[in-house]
Amino acid sequence: MTDAFSERLVASLPRLRRFARGLTGAVAQADDLVQSACERALTRQHQFQEGTRFDSWMFRIIQTIWIDQIRSRDVRKEETEVEDDRFGSDEPVRRVEARLALEEVRRAAARLPADQRAALMLVTVEGFSYKEAAEIAQVPVGTIMSRLARARVALTALLESGSGLRGSVSDAKAQR
Amino acid sequence: MQKPSDELLVAYLDGELGEAELAGVDAYLERDEAVRERVRALTLSGSLLSEAFDELLDEPVPERLLAAATGVKALPAAATILAFRPKTGIGSSRWWIGMAAAASLFGVVFGGSIGYFTATEPFLHGKEADGQVKQSQMAPLDATAVNNSWLDNVAGYHNLFAAPPAGGSDSTVFDIPANGDDANQKISQHIPGDLKIPDLKPWGLEFKGLRQLVIEGRPAAQLYYTTDNKALGPITVVIATSKRTDVAPTYDQRQNINLLYWRHMGRAYAIVGQADKGYMWGLANDIAWQLNAI
Repeated sequence: MTDAFSERLVASLPRLRRFARGLTGAVAQADDLVQSACERALTRQHQFQEGTRFDSWMFRIIQTIWIDQIRSRDVRKEETEVEDDRFGSDEPVRRVEARLALEEVRRAAARLPADQRAALMLVTVEGFSYKEAAEIAQVPVGTIMSRLARARVALTALLESGSGLRGSVSDAKAQR
Repeated sequence: MQKPSDELLVAYLDGELGEAELAGVDAYLERDEAVRERVRALTLSGSLLSEAFDELLDEPVPERLLAAATGVKALPAAATILAFRPKTGIGSSRWWIGMAAAASLFGVVFGGSIGYFTATEPFLHGKEADGQVKQSQMAPLDATAVNNSWLDNVAGYHNLFAAPPAGGSDSTVFDIPANGDDANQKISQHIPGDLKIPDLKPWGLEFKGLRQLVIEGRPAAQLYYTTDNKALGPITVVIATSKRTDVAPTYDQRQNINLLYWRHMGRAYAIVGQADKGYMWGLANDIAWQLNAI
Protein backbone atom coordinates (compact mmCIF):
# COMPACT_ATOMS: atom_id res chain seq x y z
CA MET A 1 0.00 0.00 0.00
CA THR A 2 1.34 3.43 -0.86
CA ASP A 3 0.98 6.32 1.55
CA ALA A 4 -0.41 8.52 -1.21
CA PHE A 5 -3.12 6.02 -1.99
CA SER A 6 -4.02 5.67 1.67
CA GLU A 7 -4.10 9.44 2.11
CA ARG A 8 -6.51 9.78 -0.76
CA LEU A 9 -8.67 7.09 0.73
CA VAL A 10 -8.76 8.74 4.15
CA ALA A 11 -9.53 12.12 2.61
CA SER A 12 -12.46 10.67 0.72
CA LEU A 13 -14.01 8.94 3.74
CA PRO A 14 -16.57 11.66 4.56
CA ARG A 15 -17.92 11.60 1.03
CA LEU A 16 -17.87 7.83 0.88
CA ARG A 17 -19.84 7.70 4.13
CA ARG A 18 -22.34 10.22 2.80
CA PHE A 19 -22.85 8.22 -0.37
CA ALA A 20 -23.15 4.96 1.55
CA ARG A 21 -25.64 6.56 3.94
CA GLY A 22 -27.74 7.57 1.01
CA LEU A 23 -27.67 4.05 -0.37
CA THR A 24 -28.37 2.21 2.85
CA GLY A 25 -30.34 4.74 4.85
CA ALA A 26 -28.64 3.49 8.02
CA VAL A 27 -25.51 4.62 9.83
CA ALA A 28 -24.09 1.24 10.79
CA GLN A 29 -24.84 -0.37 7.44
CA ALA A 30 -23.27 2.56 5.66
CA ASP A 31 -20.09 2.31 7.69
CA ASP A 32 -19.89 -1.43 7.13
CA LEU A 33 -20.22 -0.73 3.43
CA VAL A 34 -17.46 1.88 3.46
CA GLN A 35 -15.23 -0.40 5.51
CA SER A 36 -15.65 -3.20 2.99
CA ALA A 37 -14.97 -0.77 0.16
CA CYS A 38 -11.76 0.43 1.81
CA GLU A 39 -10.56 -3.12 2.27
CA ARG A 40 -11.30 -3.90 -1.33
CA ALA A 41 -9.68 -0.73 -2.59
CA LEU A 42 -6.48 -1.47 -0.69
CA THR A 43 -6.27 -4.99 -2.03
CA ARG A 44 -6.98 -3.83 -5.57
CA GLN A 45 -5.22 -0.51 -5.66
CA HIS A 46 -3.13 -1.74 -8.57
CA GLN A 47 -6.33 -1.67 -10.62
CA PHE A 48 -6.79 2.06 -10.11
CA GLN A 49 -5.56 3.99 -13.12
CA GLU A 50 -3.68 7.17 -12.29
CA GLY A 51 -5.14 10.12 -14.11
CA THR A 52 -8.69 8.93 -13.61
CA ARG A 53 -10.98 10.14 -10.86
CA PHE A 54 -10.30 8.44 -7.56
CA ASP A 55 -13.70 9.34 -6.16
CA SER A 56 -15.49 7.79 -9.12
CA TRP A 57 -13.48 4.61 -8.64
CA MET A 58 -14.39 4.42 -4.96
CA PHE A 59 -18.05 5.20 -5.57
CA ARG A 60 -18.13 2.43 -8.09
CA ILE A 61 -16.67 -0.01 -5.58
CA ILE A 62 -19.26 1.01 -3.00
CA GLN A 63 -22.06 0.76 -5.52
CA THR A 64 -20.90 -2.71 -6.59
CA ILE A 65 -20.62 -4.01 -3.04
CA TRP A 66 -24.00 -2.55 -2.17
CA ILE A 67 -25.71 -4.21 -5.13
CA ASP A 68 -24.08 -7.51 -4.22
CA GLN A 69 -25.29 -7.14 -0.65
CA ILE A 70 -28.80 -6.42 -1.79
CA ARG A 71 -28.76 -9.51 -3.91
CA SER A 72 -27.09 -11.83 -1.43
CA ARG A 73 -28.49 -10.69 1.87
CA ASP A 74 -31.84 -9.29 0.89
CA VAL A 75 -31.09 -6.05 2.68
CA ARG A 76 -34.41 -4.42 3.38
CA LYS A 77 -35.45 -0.87 3.89
CA GLU A 78 -37.08 -1.92 7.14
CA GLU A 79 -33.61 -2.23 8.63
CA THR A 80 -33.18 1.48 8.35
CA GLU A 81 -32.37 2.81 11.74
CA VAL A 82 -33.18 6.11 13.30
CA GLU A 83 -30.07 8.20 13.52
CA ASP A 84 -28.73 9.13 16.90
CA ASP A 85 -30.02 12.30 18.40
CA ARG A 86 -26.92 14.45 18.41
CA PHE A 87 -28.54 17.64 19.51
CA GLY A 88 -27.70 19.17 22.84
CA SER A 89 -30.47 20.46 25.03
CA ASP A 90 -28.99 23.94 24.94
CA GLU A 91 -29.21 24.28 21.16
CA PRO A 92 -31.75 26.74 19.88
CA VAL A 93 -35.05 25.06 19.20
CA ARG A 94 -35.20 26.48 15.72
CA ARG A 95 -31.90 24.90 14.78
CA VAL A 96 -32.99 21.53 16.14
CA GLU A 97 -36.22 21.71 14.18
CA ALA A 98 -34.33 22.59 11.04
CA ARG A 99 -32.03 19.64 11.46
CA LEU A 100 -34.94 17.34 12.12
CA ALA A 101 -36.45 18.61 8.90
CA LEU A 102 -33.30 17.60 7.07
CA GLU A 103 -33.47 14.22 8.72
CA GLU A 104 -36.97 13.91 7.34
CA VAL A 105 -35.54 14.54 3.90
CA ARG A 106 -33.01 11.74 4.37
CA ARG A 107 -35.76 9.43 5.54
CA ALA A 108 -37.83 10.30 2.51
CA ALA A 109 -34.85 9.50 0.27
CA ALA A 110 -34.41 6.18 2.06
CA ARG A 111 -37.92 5.21 1.02
CA LEU A 112 -37.05 5.33 -2.66
CA PRO A 113 -36.07 2.19 -4.58
CA ALA A 114 -32.37 1.36 -4.34
CA ASP A 115 -31.52 2.15 -7.96
CA GLN A 116 -33.25 5.52 -7.74
CA ARG A 117 -31.47 6.34 -4.50
CA ALA A 118 -28.14 5.61 -6.10
CA ALA A 119 -28.88 7.86 -9.07
CA LEU A 120 -30.09 10.60 -6.78
CA MET A 121 -27.01 10.43 -4.58
CA LEU A 122 -24.58 10.37 -7.48
CA VAL A 123 -26.06 13.29 -9.40
CA THR A 124 -27.98 15.48 -6.98
CA VAL A 125 -25.79 15.07 -3.90
CA GLU A 126 -22.36 14.17 -5.26
CA GLY A 127 -22.60 16.33 -8.34
CA PHE A 128 -21.57 13.80 -10.95
CA SER A 129 -22.74 14.36 -14.50
CA TYR A 130 -25.20 11.89 -15.98
CA LYS A 131 -22.37 10.34 -17.97
CA GLU A 132 -20.15 9.95 -14.91
CA ALA A 133 -23.02 8.58 -12.85
CA ALA A 134 -23.81 6.09 -15.59
CA GLU A 135 -20.22 4.89 -15.58
CA ILE A 136 -20.21 4.47 -11.82
CA ALA A 137 -23.55 2.67 -11.78
CA GLN A 138 -22.59 0.76 -14.92
CA VAL A 139 -25.84 1.50 -16.69
CA PRO A 140 -26.68 3.55 -19.81
CA VAL A 141 -27.04 7.32 -19.49
CA GLY A 142 -30.70 7.04 -20.41
CA THR A 143 -31.27 4.73 -17.47
CA ILE A 144 -29.68 7.21 -15.08
CA MET A 145 -31.84 9.94 -16.57
CA SER A 146 -35.09 8.06 -16.09
CA ARG A 147 -34.18 6.79 -12.62
CA LEU A 148 -33.24 10.27 -11.59
CA ALA A 149 -36.46 11.77 -12.85
CA ARG A 150 -38.56 9.16 -11.08
CA ALA A 151 -36.55 9.69 -7.91
CA ARG A 152 -36.88 13.47 -7.98
CA VAL A 153 -40.60 13.30 -8.64
CA ALA A 154 -41.13 10.71 -5.92
CA LEU A 155 -39.00 12.63 -3.44
CA THR A 156 -40.91 15.81 -4.15
CA ALA A 157 -44.19 13.97 -3.63
CA LEU A 158 -42.97 12.39 -0.40
CA LEU A 159 -41.85 15.72 1.00
CA GLU A 160 -45.06 17.43 -0.03
CA SER A 161 -47.20 14.71 1.53
CA GLY A 162 -45.11 14.40 4.68
CA SER A 163 -44.14 17.26 6.90
CA GLY A 164 -44.56 19.53 3.93
CA LEU A 165 -42.04 20.66 1.37
CA ARG A 166 -42.66 24.30 2.15
CA GLY A 167 -42.30 23.71 5.86
CA SER A 168 -39.11 21.80 5.37
CA VAL A 169 -37.68 24.53 3.21
CA SER A 170 -38.47 27.28 5.68
CA ASP A 171 -37.12 25.21 8.57
CA ALA A 172 -33.94 24.48 6.72
CA LYS A 173 -33.46 28.07 5.71
CA ALA A 174 -34.01 29.20 9.27
CA GLN A 175 -30.70 27.73 10.37
CA ARG A 176 -28.66 29.49 7.69
CA MET B 1 -42.66 21.81 -28.22
CA GLN B 2 -44.96 19.59 -26.19
CA LYS B 3 -45.28 20.06 -22.47
CA PRO B 4 -41.92 19.02 -21.03
CA SER B 5 -41.86 15.69 -19.19
CA ASP B 6 -40.55 15.39 -15.65
CA GLU B 7 -37.50 13.65 -17.08
CA LEU B 8 -36.79 16.64 -19.28
CA LEU B 9 -37.37 19.09 -16.45
CA VAL B 10 -35.01 17.26 -14.12
CA ALA B 11 -32.36 17.14 -16.86
CA TYR B 12 -32.99 20.84 -17.39
CA LEU B 13 -32.30 21.55 -13.73
CA ASP B 14 -29.22 19.36 -13.79
CA GLY B 15 -27.78 21.23 -16.78
CA GLU B 16 -27.84 18.14 -18.94
CA LEU B 17 -29.82 19.45 -21.90
CA GLY B 18 -28.48 20.50 -25.27
CA GLU B 19 -29.04 24.02 -26.55
CA ALA B 20 -32.16 23.22 -28.55
CA GLU B 21 -33.88 21.38 -25.70
CA LEU B 22 -32.81 24.05 -23.26
CA ALA B 23 -34.36 26.79 -25.37
CA GLY B 24 -37.53 24.74 -25.74
CA VAL B 25 -37.95 24.30 -21.99
CA ASP B 26 -37.15 27.96 -21.35
CA ALA B 27 -39.82 28.99 -23.81
CA TYR B 28 -42.35 26.69 -22.21
CA LEU B 29 -41.56 27.96 -18.74
CA GLU B 30 -42.26 31.51 -19.83
CA ARG B 31 -45.80 30.76 -20.80
CA ASP B 32 -46.92 27.97 -18.40
CA GLU B 33 -47.29 28.71 -14.71
CA ALA B 34 -47.97 25.05 -13.84
CA VAL B 35 -44.65 23.97 -15.33
CA ARG B 36 -42.89 26.80 -13.53
CA GLU B 37 -44.40 25.59 -10.27
CA ARG B 38 -43.31 22.05 -11.08
CA VAL B 39 -39.75 23.21 -11.66
CA ARG B 40 -39.79 25.15 -8.41
CA ALA B 41 -40.89 22.07 -6.45
CA LEU B 42 -38.26 19.88 -8.10
CA THR B 43 -35.62 22.51 -7.43
CA LEU B 44 -36.54 22.75 -3.77
CA SER B 45 -36.56 19.02 -3.20
CA GLY B 46 -33.15 18.77 -4.85
CA SER B 47 -31.74 21.58 -2.73
CA LEU B 48 -33.11 20.04 0.42
CA LEU B 49 -31.65 16.68 -0.46
CA SER B 50 -28.21 18.18 -1.01
CA GLU B 51 -28.37 20.07 2.24
CA ALA B 52 -29.62 17.05 4.18
CA PHE B 53 -26.68 14.95 3.04
CA ASP B 54 -24.10 17.71 3.11
CA GLU B 55 -24.42 18.00 6.85
CA LEU B 56 -23.28 14.38 7.14
CA LEU B 57 -19.85 15.48 5.95
CA ASP B 58 -19.31 17.10 9.33
CA GLU B 59 -19.89 13.89 11.27
CA PRO B 60 -16.93 12.21 12.95
CA VAL B 61 -15.39 9.44 10.90
CA PRO B 62 -15.41 6.17 12.88
CA GLU B 63 -12.06 4.90 13.94
CA ARG B 64 -12.54 1.58 12.24
CA LEU B 65 -12.95 3.32 8.90
CA LEU B 66 -9.77 5.30 9.41
CA ALA B 67 -8.04 2.05 10.26
CA ALA B 68 -9.51 0.32 7.22
CA ALA B 69 -8.49 3.18 4.94
CA THR B 70 -4.94 3.35 6.24
CA GLY B 71 -4.47 -0.37 6.48
CA VAL B 72 -3.47 0.02 10.11
CA LYS B 73 -3.05 -3.47 11.46
CA ALA B 74 0.34 -4.31 12.80
CA LEU B 75 2.42 -2.65 15.43
CA PRO B 76 6.15 -3.33 15.59
CA ALA B 77 7.02 -6.25 17.78
CA ALA B 78 7.76 -5.58 21.40
CA ALA B 79 11.38 -5.90 22.46
CA THR B 80 10.74 -8.72 24.87
CA ILE B 81 9.19 -12.01 23.98
CA LEU B 82 7.33 -13.24 27.00
CA ALA B 83 7.02 -16.86 28.03
CA PHE B 84 3.76 -18.66 27.75
CA ARG B 85 1.96 -19.72 30.86
CA PRO B 86 2.00 -23.50 31.06
CA LYS B 87 -1.36 -24.98 30.27
CA THR B 88 -2.58 -26.75 33.37
CA GLY B 89 -5.73 -28.58 34.18
CA ILE B 90 -7.22 -28.23 30.73
CA GLY B 91 -9.77 -30.92 31.42
CA SER B 92 -11.11 -29.08 34.38
CA SER B 93 -11.84 -26.02 32.26
CA ARG B 94 -14.66 -27.76 30.46
CA TRP B 95 -16.99 -27.80 33.43
CA TRP B 96 -17.76 -24.23 32.48
CA ILE B 97 -19.60 -25.49 29.46
CA GLY B 98 -22.47 -26.62 31.60
CA MET B 99 -22.57 -23.32 33.40
CA ALA B 100 -23.80 -21.22 30.52
CA ALA B 101 -27.25 -20.72 31.98
CA ALA B 102 -25.89 -19.65 35.31
CA ALA B 103 -23.49 -17.34 33.56
CA SER B 104 -26.38 -15.72 31.75
CA LEU B 105 -27.81 -14.71 35.09
CA PHE B 106 -24.42 -13.20 35.86
CA GLY B 107 -24.78 -11.17 32.71
CA VAL B 108 -28.17 -9.85 33.69
CA VAL B 109 -26.79 -8.63 36.96
CA PHE B 110 -23.92 -6.79 35.35
CA GLY B 111 -25.57 -5.89 32.08
CA GLY B 112 -26.00 -2.26 32.97
CA SER B 113 -22.35 -1.42 32.73
CA ILE B 114 -22.12 -1.08 28.97
CA GLY B 115 -21.83 2.66 28.86
CA TYR B 116 -18.94 2.47 31.24
CA PHE B 117 -17.07 0.22 28.89
CA THR B 118 -17.83 2.01 25.69
CA ALA B 119 -16.25 5.29 26.69
CA THR B 120 -13.82 6.25 23.99
CA GLU B 121 -10.29 7.39 23.49
CA PRO B 122 -8.76 9.19 20.54
CA PHE B 123 -7.66 7.09 17.65
CA LEU B 124 -3.95 7.34 17.00
CA HIS B 125 -2.18 6.69 13.76
CA GLY B 126 1.38 7.39 14.69
CA LYS B 127 3.62 4.74 16.12
CA GLU B 128 7.12 5.11 17.43
CA ALA B 129 9.81 2.62 16.64
CA ASP B 130 9.42 0.84 19.95
CA GLY B 131 5.79 0.15 19.24
CA GLN B 132 4.37 2.82 21.50
CA VAL B 133 1.70 4.99 20.04
CA LYS B 134 2.78 8.61 19.94
CA GLN B 135 0.13 11.18 20.78
CA SER B 136 1.79 13.98 18.83
CA GLN B 137 1.52 12.00 15.60
CA MET B 138 -2.26 12.04 15.55
CA ALA B 139 -3.57 12.62 12.05
CA PRO B 140 -5.86 15.61 11.46
CA LEU B 141 -8.92 13.38 11.21
CA ASP B 142 -8.25 11.69 14.54
CA ALA B 143 -10.04 14.34 16.53
CA THR B 144 -13.20 13.55 14.67
CA ALA B 145 -13.08 9.92 15.73
CA VAL B 146 -13.11 10.55 19.47
CA ASN B 147 -16.77 9.76 20.00
CA ASN B 148 -16.83 6.33 18.46
CA SER B 149 -17.20 3.30 20.65
CA TRP B 150 -14.92 0.37 21.17
CA LEU B 151 -17.76 -2.06 20.74
CA ASP B 152 -18.81 -0.55 17.43
CA ASN B 153 -15.28 -1.06 16.20
CA VAL B 154 -15.12 -4.61 17.48
CA ALA B 155 -18.43 -5.45 15.80
CA GLY B 156 -17.27 -3.73 12.63
CA TYR B 157 -14.07 -5.73 12.51
CA HIS B 158 -16.09 -8.89 13.02
CA ASN B 159 -18.38 -8.02 10.13
CA LEU B 160 -15.40 -7.41 7.96
CA PHE B 161 -14.25 -10.95 8.54
CA ALA B 162 -17.49 -12.81 8.92
CA ALA B 163 -19.51 -11.35 6.07
CA PRO B 164 -18.68 -12.94 2.73
CA PRO B 165 -16.90 -10.25 0.71
CA ALA B 166 -18.91 -9.33 -2.34
CA GLY B 167 -15.91 -9.60 -4.59
CA GLY B 168 -14.40 -12.79 -3.27
CA SER B 169 -12.62 -14.00 -0.19
CA ASP B 170 -9.49 -11.93 -0.48
CA SER B 171 -10.27 -9.80 2.57
CA THR B 172 -9.76 -12.76 4.90
CA VAL B 173 -6.05 -12.29 5.13
CA PHE B 174 -4.41 -12.86 8.47
CA ASP B 175 -1.35 -11.17 9.82
CA ILE B 176 -0.60 -14.43 11.52
CA PRO B 177 -2.22 -17.62 10.24
CA ALA B 178 -2.93 -20.49 12.61
CA ASN B 179 0.29 -22.42 12.86
CA GLY B 180 0.74 -23.33 16.48
CA ASP B 181 3.46 -21.82 18.57
CA ASP B 182 4.22 -19.01 16.15
CA ALA B 183 0.76 -17.55 16.62
CA ASN B 184 1.14 -17.79 20.39
CA GLN B 185 4.49 -16.08 20.21
CA LYS B 186 3.26 -13.32 17.94
CA ILE B 187 0.22 -12.46 20.01
CA SER B 188 2.37 -12.11 23.09
CA GLN B 189 4.66 -9.79 21.19
CA HIS B 190 1.79 -7.68 20.00
CA ILE B 191 -0.03 -7.54 23.31
CA PRO B 192 2.52 -7.59 26.08
CA GLY B 193 1.84 -10.05 28.84
CA ASP B 194 1.28 -13.71 29.36
CA LEU B 195 -1.04 -14.57 26.53
CA LYS B 196 -1.88 -17.48 24.27
CA ILE B 197 -4.42 -18.40 21.66
CA PRO B 198 -7.48 -19.86 23.43
CA ASP B 199 -8.14 -23.45 22.43
CA LEU B 200 -11.83 -23.63 21.52
CA LYS B 201 -11.85 -27.01 19.80
CA PRO B 202 -14.14 -28.49 22.47
CA TRP B 203 -16.66 -25.92 21.32
CA GLY B 204 -16.31 -27.01 17.72
CA LEU B 205 -14.32 -23.91 16.83
CA GLU B 206 -11.07 -24.03 14.92
CA PHE B 207 -8.59 -21.17 15.15
CA LYS B 208 -7.77 -19.89 11.66
CA GLY B 209 -5.54 -16.93 12.32
CA LEU B 210 -5.32 -13.49 13.84
CA ARG B 211 -5.11 -9.92 12.75
CA GLN B 212 -3.11 -7.35 14.64
CA LEU B 213 -5.14 -4.21 15.11
CA VAL B 214 -4.99 -0.89 16.84
CA ILE B 215 -8.27 -0.08 18.55
CA GLU B 216 -8.58 3.30 20.17
CA GLY B 217 -4.87 3.74 19.99
CA ARG B 218 -4.02 0.52 21.76
CA PRO B 219 -2.72 -2.77 20.41
CA ALA B 220 -5.39 -5.40 19.90
CA ALA B 221 -5.63 -8.83 18.35
CA GLN B 222 -8.62 -10.24 16.54
CA LEU B 223 -8.68 -14.03 16.64
CA TYR B 224 -10.77 -15.75 14.03
CA TYR B 225 -12.47 -19.10 14.65
CA THR B 226 -14.62 -21.06 12.25
CA THR B 227 -16.94 -24.02 12.47
CA ASP B 228 -19.00 -26.07 10.05
CA ASN B 229 -22.04 -25.23 12.14
CA LYS B 230 -23.30 -22.00 10.65
CA ALA B 231 -25.52 -21.41 13.66
CA LEU B 232 -22.41 -21.03 15.82
CA GLY B 233 -19.72 -19.47 13.73
CA PRO B 234 -17.66 -17.79 12.72
CA ILE B 235 -16.60 -16.30 16.02
CA THR B 236 -14.03 -13.61 16.55
CA VAL B 237 -12.31 -12.99 19.84
CA VAL B 238 -10.74 -9.61 20.44
CA ILE B 239 -8.06 -9.11 23.05
CA ALA B 240 -6.79 -5.60 23.60
CA THR B 241 -4.76 -3.67 26.09
CA SER B 242 -6.72 -1.28 28.24
CA LYS B 243 -6.10 1.21 31.00
CA ARG B 244 -9.68 1.22 32.15
CA THR B 245 -11.02 -0.33 35.29
CA ASP B 246 -12.20 -3.92 35.32
CA VAL B 247 -15.69 -4.72 34.08
CA ALA B 248 -17.55 -7.99 34.57
CA PRO B 249 -18.67 -9.93 31.50
CA THR B 250 -21.49 -8.06 29.84
CA TYR B 251 -23.73 -8.89 26.93
CA ASP B 252 -24.51 -6.44 24.15
CA GLN B 253 -25.63 -6.44 20.54
CA ARG B 254 -24.81 -4.56 17.38
CA GLN B 255 -27.51 -5.19 14.82
CA ASN B 256 -27.55 -8.99 14.52
CA ILE B 257 -24.15 -9.45 16.15
CA ASN B 258 -23.86 -10.66 19.73
CA LEU B 259 -21.03 -9.38 21.87
CA LEU B 260 -19.76 -10.49 25.25
CA TYR B 261 -17.08 -8.26 26.65
CA TRP B 262 -15.23 -7.69 29.86
CA ARG B 263 -12.07 -6.09 31.19
CA HIS B 264 -9.61 -7.61 33.56
CA MET B 265 -6.22 -6.47 34.76
CA GLY B 266 -5.29 -4.15 31.93
CA ARG B 267 -6.88 -6.07 29.11
CA ALA B 268 -10.20 -5.85 27.34
CA TYR B 269 -11.82 -8.95 25.89
CA ALA B 270 -14.71 -9.40 23.52
CA ILE B 271 -16.36 -12.41 21.93
CA VAL B 272 -18.24 -11.54 18.80
CA GLY B 273 -20.56 -13.65 16.69
CA GLN B 274 -24.06 -14.67 15.84
CA ALA B 275 -24.23 -17.72 18.10
CA ASP B 276 -26.83 -17.74 20.86
CA LYS B 277 -26.16 -16.10 24.18
CA GLY B 278 -25.77 -19.31 26.16
CA TYR B 279 -23.06 -20.54 23.83
CA MET B 280 -21.33 -17.18 23.97
CA TRP B 281 -21.40 -17.18 27.76
CA GLY B 282 -19.90 -20.63 27.81
CA LEU B 283 -17.15 -19.46 25.49
CA ALA B 284 -16.52 -16.42 27.64
CA ASN B 285 -16.08 -18.51 30.74
CA ASP B 286 -13.74 -20.92 29.03
CA ILE B 287 -11.65 -18.16 27.49
CA ALA B 288 -11.51 -16.30 30.77
CA TRP B 289 -10.30 -19.44 32.48
CA GLN B 290 -7.71 -20.24 29.84
CA LEU B 291 -6.32 -16.70 29.83
CA ASN B 292 -6.58 -16.20 33.56
CA ALA B 293 -8.81 -13.29 32.73
CA ILE B 294 -11.48 -13.33 35.35
